[in-house]
Amino acid sequence: MADQPTEWKGLDNAPLKARLTGADSIPVPKAELIPRALGPPSWSRAEVLDRLGGDEELLQELCQIFLKESPRLMEKLRQGMANGDAEAVQRAAHSLKGEVSYLAAAGATQAARHLEDMGRERDLSVVSEAIRLMERELDELRQAIEDDADGASR
Amino acid sequence: MIAAAPNGFLNLGSPEKPQALDAVLVAEDDPVFRHVLEYWLKKWDYRVTSVENGLDAWNILQKVDSPQMAILDWMMPAMDGVELCRQLRRHEGQRYHFVLLVTSKDDKQDVVAGLSAGADDYLTKPFNVDELRARIRTGERILHLQDALIRVHEALRFEAAHDPLTGLWNRGAILELLEREVQLHRRTGSALGLMMVDLDHFKQVNDTQGHMVGDVVLRESAHRMAASVRNYDWVGRYGGEEFLIVVPGCDAEALLASAERLRACIADPPVETTAGPVPMTLSIGIVSAMPPGPSAPNLEKLLYAADTALYKAKANGRNRVEMAGISRAAGQH
Repeated sequence: MADQPTEWKGLDNAPLKARLTGADSIPVPKAELIPRALGPPSWSRAEVLDRLGGDEELLQELCQIFLKESPRLMEKLRQGMANGDAEAVQRAAHSLKGEVSYLAAAGATQAARHLEDMGRERDLSVVSEAIRLMERELDELRQAIEDDADGASR
Repeated sequence: MIAAAPNGFLNLGSPEKPQALDAVLVAEDDPVFRHVLEYWLKKWDYRVTSVENGLDAWNILQKVDSPQMAILDWMMPAMDGVELCRQLRRHEGQRYHFVLLVTSKDDKQDVVAGLSAGADDYLTKPFNVDELRARIRTGERILHLQDALIRVHEALRFEAAHDPLTGLWNRGAILELLEREVQLHRRTGSALGLMMVDLDHFKQVNDTQGHMVGDVVLRESAHRMAASVRNYDWVGRYGGEEFLIVVPGCDAEALLASAERLRACIADPPVETTAGPVPMTLSIGIVSAMPPGPSAPNLEKLLYAADTALYKAKANGRNRVEMAGISRAAGQH
């Protein structure tokens, strides 16, 4: 575990970026990304930084872990949906909710909370819509985080 | 404290070595939070062990040298934080674990369940670093208090069973140990010997040299006695200058040899004191418990026989060993 921070730091974001716009994620209509630009920001960097006692290094490390981890959790969500496994949906949504709320991402937190509730209530009737919404929120959040990292490295 | 301590001091509890209180177990399946916790704890100089599920955490917490502080995520694969808490409290030995349960902000009802299951404190996600620091400090404070409490308890337990002047078992403890050995002798037929030992003319030392010198003589004699016997014999201070030595697994012949060794090691050299060398001798009454089994002598008969033999040693000129014939003594009753 001790060497994990270094491992994350060394991550190259390029493949992730490619994947975000690529074919192996559920296709998201590009138009849906547009309204967000006019709406509230997808995360509050200042709030997260405050939570971390102003530690920029830790913030960067956590963002890298999140960028790597969140697609895995999305995959678990989709699998849960495909298998009609409400408990799996609940678990994955719970983990996602924890992470995005830590990153002060209000929209994504709300989306994850809905999914978790569906899982808890064992009602997956409208889960595919909720997952699509989750996907969109996450895409925006990841984009915002990557833009932030690019800005920081410039 | 007591160099001459015979066997058994550890069994009835001498104070243990201080436990390392700077280790923390982190059980968290989410990599983001695991990283946050590890990052800060390491920064604050804790030794961190982290696992990704409750079962691994449980396996670590069961070890004798496990970290005494545990930060457990509520929702984990294999065993969740609450169940882990419950297991931990059910099996908790003397070493206390401080458990900090991490739950999510949405699940307030969980907090009550978590604390009921035995968590000491909780932290809600998303927590900030100051909050984490404060909770960890609370835990540390409680663990230090607990540690101090255990030490005091151990010290009291030690004091309750030992004679403060000589460090030997006290009267209550040595009689209890004798009773235990008598029961064992009756049940298993293992050999058992008992010595009743008295310092000759000790009262004269006190009267002519003062009690300070008397105390030195008692302490030195006790030291030599404990060093003379085997380390599985029990040496206790029975009264003022009277001692009881319980000698398990020893037949009459070996018992007599052991008592003779003891007599010789006190008789020479004299005890060095501030008032100069004080020559001391011992009178010893010994008894070998025979036969084993249901008709074996009980504790009172053994004590009576040893005391009678001691009286005989005194009457026959002191600085000597006399052995009682327990079978005859028993037959007379």
